[in-house]
Amino acid sequence: MTGDTHYDLEILAELAEGLLDAATAMRVREHLAICDPCGESLADLAAVRELLAATSTPAMPMGVALRIDRALAAEAENFRGGGIGLVEAPAWDDMMRDAPWETAPLPQEEPAPEPETRPEPAVRLGVVGDDGTVTPVTPSRRRTAARRRRWAMPAAAAGIAAAVIGATVVTTSMLSAADPEREPVIARPAPATSTADYQLTASNWNYTDQELRGSLLDYIGPGLIVKDSSDTSELARCVQQVSEKVGKAPFAVDQGFYNGQEANIVLFWHNEAKNQVRVHVVGPSCETVRKPALASWR
Amino acid sequence: MNSPPETPPTAGRQAARTDVSDADLLTRHIAGDPHAFSEIVKRHRDRMWAVALRTLGDPDEAADAVQDAFVSAYRKAESFRGEAAVTTWLHRIVVNACLDRMRRKAVRPVADDELVEAAERDTPVPDQTAEREVSMEVSSALKLLPADQRAALVLVDMMGYSVEDAARVLQVPSGTVKSRCARGRAKLVPILSHLRNRSDRSRVSSAKGAELRDG
Repeated sequence: MTGDTHYDLEILAELAEGLLDAATAMRVREHLAICDPCGESLADLAAVRELLAATSTPAMPMGVALRIDRALAAEAENFRGGGIGLVEAPAWDDMMRDAPWETAPLPQEEPAPEPETRPEPAVRLGVVGDDGTVTPVTPSRRRTAARRRRWAMPAAAAGIAAAVIGATVVTTSMLSAADPEREPVIARPAPATSTADYQLTASNWNYTDQELRGSLLDYIGPGLIVKDSSDTSELARCVQQVSEKVGKAPFAVDQGFYNGQEANIVLFWHNEAKNQVRVHVVGPSCETVRKPALASWR
Repeated sequence: MNSPPETPPTAGRQAARTDVSDADLLTRHIAGDPHAFSEIVKRHRDRMWAVALRTLGDPDEAADAVQDAFVSAYRKAESFRGEAAVTTWLHRIVVNACLDRMRRKAVRPVADDELVEAAERDTPVPDQTAEREVSMEVSSALKLLPADQRAALVLVDMMGYSVEDAARVLQVPSGTVKSRCARGRAKLVPILSHLRNRSDRSRVSSAKGAELRDG
């Protein structure tokens, strides 16, 4: 592509960006008028731009959004003199150094890992669905979804639910960092091994196929324990059906959406030691809406 | 500061906040409003996530970078001087957090054995597979570029920001952004040519025409 007869891609890319001086640009254009390979190269460059532009950029996964909310809540606690829950971020000066890509590599320095196991300040789950960016809910589903949410479930009820379900205790509230007098406790879920119990959550997350192939703990782990008999009895029957097909009991069930449609995500351990879960997705009438597939838990 | 909300008072805070500018929210945050920063996060997290994910090519790294960035912005809100848009400022923090991570360690490859295994075992819906495959190919191709070129291409070509906006985020002249984009695209052509041959046979003449016109 280089040499006397053709221009290389970089020159052509610079031409396209208007970076060449007038005389050079003129010469390259004259060449392009008669040279098919260089014309093709120019088209390739345009195609790369189109490819980059067409590559979809997904919304922030709920697990990440929750994590950030937690980190900021911890930061607020710290800011208000509570002194707890400080999440270390890299020093500002480190991060905002000028032209960082042109400076020498820094000494290896890891930010402190996010403390996942200790009690954490309020999680602002109320953000979900407020603007539709996190969980796009179809209008016909709004009522059901709203009824299902138990944002401000009393701690006692959560305790009962946990005792019944035996997998996870999650208390949440609409409280934000501004309410330091309340300290909802979040316990990370321990995967249930009992065959009789499974953790039931209603994240109302709109799962994509890709998300259901990845690590699911972040979506389902911090979800809300549901205790709603009218909804769950039907679901319980469905879970039973699925379990019979699979031949074992699930360890977690999450009520949400799949590609915008109401769906229940039923998780079975495929190989717990290898962190593999089998994902079944069923619709409101317990119909299978996605081919069962493997994913990871953590 | 802002006109009274037209919604009834019970709709309250949430409705009113959508009318408040980012800069006002930041001012309120500095003044101690405990909800103001959450609103900023809510407004911009998807874009910040996209920038970080594309720049780093790894969801775990991207999550760490975005979290670092938001926590830093929360702490250092006073450093926002108002000469640029809040979004520019946030982008700058996120991009720098990403570049900071890239500098400190080599980013792990995206694919993990289990995902590959699962993908091989089951045949998903074709178009989603294709899209995911292209997305992964683009991600891994971007990783082959120098960080400065990658950051410029993510902002301009992937996120669709103007060269001028990208220049403000990256704090370099517009010409530098153009030049980084040009060099980055030139490097990507041979890496991604197979995707193009597969997916686009009809656009050659029009794309060429557009490039010539723009040039």
